[in-house]
This record gives sequence, structure tokens and C-alpha cells, in this order.
Amino acid sequence: MTKEERLKKRHQAEKRFRFYGLTSIFVALLFVVILVQNIFSKGSSAFKKTVITTEIFFDQELLEIQNGASEEDIMEADFYDLMIENLIKAYPAKDRDEEDELLRLFSGDAEIEIKKAFLKDNNLIGKTITLDLTASDDIDQLHKGNYPRDLPEERRRISDFQLVIYDYFVENKKISKNFNNYFFNNGDSRDPELAGIGGALVGSFYSILICLLLAFPVAVLASIYLEEFAPKNKITDFIEININNLAAVPSIVYGLLALQILLATIQLPRSTPLVAGITLALMTLPRIIIPCRASLKAVPPSIREGALAVGASKFQSVFHHVVPLALPGTLSGTIIGLAQALGETAPLILIGMVAFVVDIPSSPVDPSSSLPVQVYLWSESAERGFVEKTSATIMMLLTFLIIMNFVAVYLRQKFEKRWN
Amino acid sequence: MSNIKIKSKNLDVFYGDKQALFDVNLDLNEKEVTALIGPSGCGKSTFIRCINRMNDVIDICKVTGNIEMDGMDINDKNLDVVALREKVGMVFQKPNPFPKSIYDNISYGPKIHGKGETKSELDEIVENSLRKSALWEEVKDRLDEPGTSLSGGQQQRLCIARAISVNPEVILMDEPCSALDPIATAKIEELIDELKKTYTIVIVTHSMAQAVRVSQKTGFFHLGKLIEVGKTEKIFKNPDNKMTQDYITGRFG
Repeated sequence: MTKEERLKKRHQAEKRFRFYGLTSIFVALLFVVILVQNIFSKGSSAFKKTVITTEIFFDQELLEIQNGASEEDIMEADFYDLMIENLIKAYPAKDRDEEDELLRLFSGDAEIEIKKAFLKDNNLIGKTITLDLTASDDIDQLHKGNYPRDLPEERRRISDFQLVIYDYFVENKKISKNFNNYFFNNGDSRDPELAGIGGALVGSFYSILICLLLAFPVAVLASIYLEEFAPKNKITDFIEININNLAAVPSIVYGLLALQILLATIQLPRSTPLVAGITLALMTLPRIIIPCRASLKAVPPSIREGALAVGASKFQSVFHHVVPLALPGTLSGTIIGLAQALGETAPLILIGMVAFVVDIPSSPVDPSSSLPVQVYLWSESAERGFVEKTSATIMMLLTFLIIMNFVAVYLRQKFEKRWN
Repeated sequence: MSNIKIKSKNLDVFYGDKQALFDVNLDLNEKEVTALIGPSGCGKSTFIRCINRMNDVIDICKVTGNIEMDGMDINDKNLDVVALREKVGMVFQKPNPFPKSIYDNISYGPKIHGKGETKSELDEIVENSLRKSALWEEVKDRLDEPGTSLSGGQQQRLCIARAISVNPEVILMDEPCSALDPIATAKIEELIDELKKTYTIVIVTHSMAQAVRVSQKTGFFHLGKLIEVGKTEKIFKNPDNKMTQDYITGRFG
């Protein structure tokens, strides 16, 4: 082979490698785009809900309370009859069956929505107001275009008569889309139009908070001790190997561990963020220790020697010099560990967080759900409305993960100091 | 003839199974510069790291024999190394300023030893240390800048200033000029000349010329043994040992 040929071959090898690299990056990006596009196109509609603008007349005869009633009295009062009487006026129905079909176009919370309007202004008796009442899931999906109306009637959840009413609403501009406050404020529900991630958000928040409070100090102290103070011998080698092993243990195993020890033996309340936090902390611990130790190791020994040489004690050299330098790496490692914990589903299913929880937890010992488990729960539900809710929840989860990763990168870049 | 500051007797050092120093007997005179020369890996650095017990950092390192400073046994298990290192400062081969401001680099030592209670006392220590290390004029307007932003030679003088900030009695220098250019080296050598009025200095160097220029006493190490020690003039003009002769004339090493 001549010199020119060899040179040409070398250049070709480089070109080939660049091509392979670009191709793999392109393929990876393509999948990300498809995934994000898919989730967005399915999920973005969940942030809006369909409402039916309805006139409500507060008829004294149908209510047991007076104008100016106290909050307690209003809460106890029955608004059911008032609701029925008003809703059936939304469309001229001929008989009871038609009225029933008409009523099914509204969400199960119509009574509560009317009550809330009265709570806001307790002088409404004898007056008529217009309210945006949440529509039922069927109408919601129909209005968002997710529901095919050209199917034969027996294969539709919406009857022909209901379609007629819907068209009448559309014609009279009584139907519109509002911001879906229920999605953020409500807990889980069997009715898709009422279901929200409020409970899951709070549950996830408590779980991650407990995970952080438990895992961060333990992981940081363990890494500092192992990296700076522990004698280098077989025992520390053994511990190091096992930390790496623990980081690779499938998360469901931690769920089983928590099930046996935390729930069966210690009898902590099941389905709670407390247990979830402890479980996630166990799982996250080795995943934080590894980057912490790596960032401690990255601090050059010359810094330690410099501190020791001016008479700093071992403790001072570590805490005055090494730890501050390792802190950015430690923090970003912790945040990435927590981000992993936030998306963890399997161990939470084992400790009972799949329970159907309607109430939003007010403390970490209340039964609760969490974001990834909520995704899992809704993805199994048959109702069409849960499809967009599932995707929207994934969007929220991804948003939190992206924010956390950004914070991690930002901290690392902002506080990283250069040493020579 | 000046007093003996540090005295080592039958000093052996082991790294695990490997012996790094063999039976070293070396006396260092007070307020004098002692140069240690010898080929790489001969134990010069190991020897000076015995004086401030820096070898403690290395787990597998074991030191036996006797080394005394003003009659105090440095190898005593009960000796407080923090107090020892306050008296014996060290400057390393590669400048290693803390990634903090110039001011903090120097004030750190006095602070941890409780010298300089007030801000003005600390300011004074910082200024004095920087003046002694001939860096004051260059950095007095930018004491808040990170020490790592200085040039290599300035960084090394900063490290010298850091070492003298705690007012030690002895300064150990482990090839302080090996990472520096000739101009920076000349400045450090001038500085060493000045510092020896106050401090006892031990310098490890690969440069024969440097040893001649800065030291009054020279020790030649080879393979962990102290081959010959004496007045610098004598070692370089008329050494007793054939090996020393060969080394300083560049026949090996």
C-alpha cells in the first residue's frame, strides 16, 4: 500500500465513524420527537375542559335555606332538586327518558358546582345566573373531537338524542372550553371529567421530600467518610463493591423489602408518602453516594495537601476545602437521584400506592397516590377521557424531571470552581 | 557555625514492603538553606515529608528511626501533627493555591490557628506574608481575585506566602521551581535567599545550579541512601564520594 492509499484509508475511516455517530444521534432524536409529539398531541387537550353554559334560577321553593345563610347551612343544604329543575330546562325534553339523557350530559359534580356558586354569593335566591357547568366525559371527548360520531348508535356511548342536544348547544354557543382547574386541584375519580392529579402531585411532593431528607444527609456523610476518612482495606473495598451493586438492584426489590419490613413488621400505614419516601430513600441512597464519591475523588489531592501543610486538621482540610469543591457535583448527583426516584413506579405499587384515593393527602401519613402510579392507574382505565389525562400526567412528570435536571446542570456550572 | 534545627538518626521509611529510605542521618542547620539533590525516586521528597509528617497521609507508609526538631521527637505517636505543621510549613512541586481569593489563601492558616483575631490583624498578616514572598506589589489591588487566576510563578509565591503566614520555623520546599519558567525561578531563588534570614529552609531540587545558588549545605541521595552531605561548596567542588562526583558532573541521574 502506498503512503497516499494509507492516508486515504485513514480519512475514510474517520468519515465513516462520523457518519455512524450522526446517524445514531439522528435516530435517537427522532424517537424523542415521536415520543414527545405523541404525548403532546394526546395530552394537551386535558388541560382544557368542556363546559355547558346554563342558566340557573335559585328557586326558594326548591331550597331549604334563605338568603344570607351561613356557610355551614349551605354545605348541608340539598341542591339536588334545584339542579334537576334547572338542568332539564337547558333543552326542551319531551319525557322523563329524554330528561335523563339530557342530565347525563352534565358531570356528576353539577350539584356541587351550583352549590359553590351560592357559597360565593349567598344572596342569589330569587335570582337567575349563568354558570359554566362541567360537561360529562362523553360530551367533553365529543367536543374535543376525540369521539367518532359516525358510528352506529348501538356502538356509541352517546345516543342520537344526545347528539341532537349537543348540536343544539353548539348552535346556541352554549358549549365552550375552559381551563381545566379540576385536573390540577382534584384527586382521582371514577369520572374522567372530574379526575385530577392534585392528590398525586401532593403525594409525590411528600414522598420526594421525605426521600431527600433521609437520603441526602446519609449519602453525603457516608461518601465523605468512605472517601476521606475510612482506612483503605478489604472492608471498605467490600462496602464499595456493594454500594455499586445496590445501585443496580431493580427497584421492585426495594418495594418488596419495604413491604416486608416497613409494612408487615414495623406496621407503618400503607399507601402513604411516608413509606414511599423511605422506600425511595433506600433505593436512591447508593445512586447518590456514587456521584458524591466521584465528585470528592475529583478534588485534586494537592488541595488536601495544601490545607494539611498549613496545619489544618484532617477534618478541617475535608470540610473547609474538599467538601465545598465537591458540593456542586454532590448537589447535582442528588437532584438526578431524586429525579429518578420521582419517576419510580414499581416499588410504590408494592407498598399499596395504587389504591384508589380520592382525597388529597394533607400529611405524609395519609393514603395517597403519586404521579407515575397515577399514570399507571389511568393507563389501565377504559374511559376515553383517561387517555388524555394519562398523557397530560406524563407531561407534568416530564416537566418536573426536566426542571430538576436543569437545576442540576445549572448548579454544577454556577458553583463549579476551577483548580489547576 | 549555626545551631542544628532538625536532626535525623537512623531514619528508615517503608512504602508497604518497599523500603524508600535507608538509615538516613542528616542534620539541618538553623536559618540556613539545605538543598537535597539526587536522581528521581531517590527519597529526597520522602525525607522532607518526614519532617512535617506528611507521610501520615499515605496509609501504607511506615517511618522508623528518629527525627527531632529542637529536641522534640517528630515521630512521637502522641505528637499533635497540627501543631507540628504550624511550625513546619511546606511548598509543593506544583503550585496548589486553594480555589479561593488571594486574601483567603493567606488568611486561612492564621485563622485556623487562632492568629489574627480581628480583621485588621488578619489584614496585617496577609500584607506581611505577601511582602515577604515578594508578591504584594503585584497583587495588592486584587486580593479578592481567585488565587488560581495568577500566573504559575505568582501562584508558587502565593503558596510560599501561605506557608509563612502561620509564622513557621522551618519551610520545606519540594522542587518549588520545577513547574516554572527561568524568570519566575529566579524570583523564587531571590526570595529563598531573603527568607533564610528568618527561616530554616530545606529545598529538594533537580537543578544542580539552583542548589549551588541558594543553599549553604547540600545532601546527595541515591536509591534511598544519603550518600554524602556537606557544605554546598565542598560537595560541588570537591566531593568525597565517587557517586556524588559522577552525579554532579552529569554522568548519571
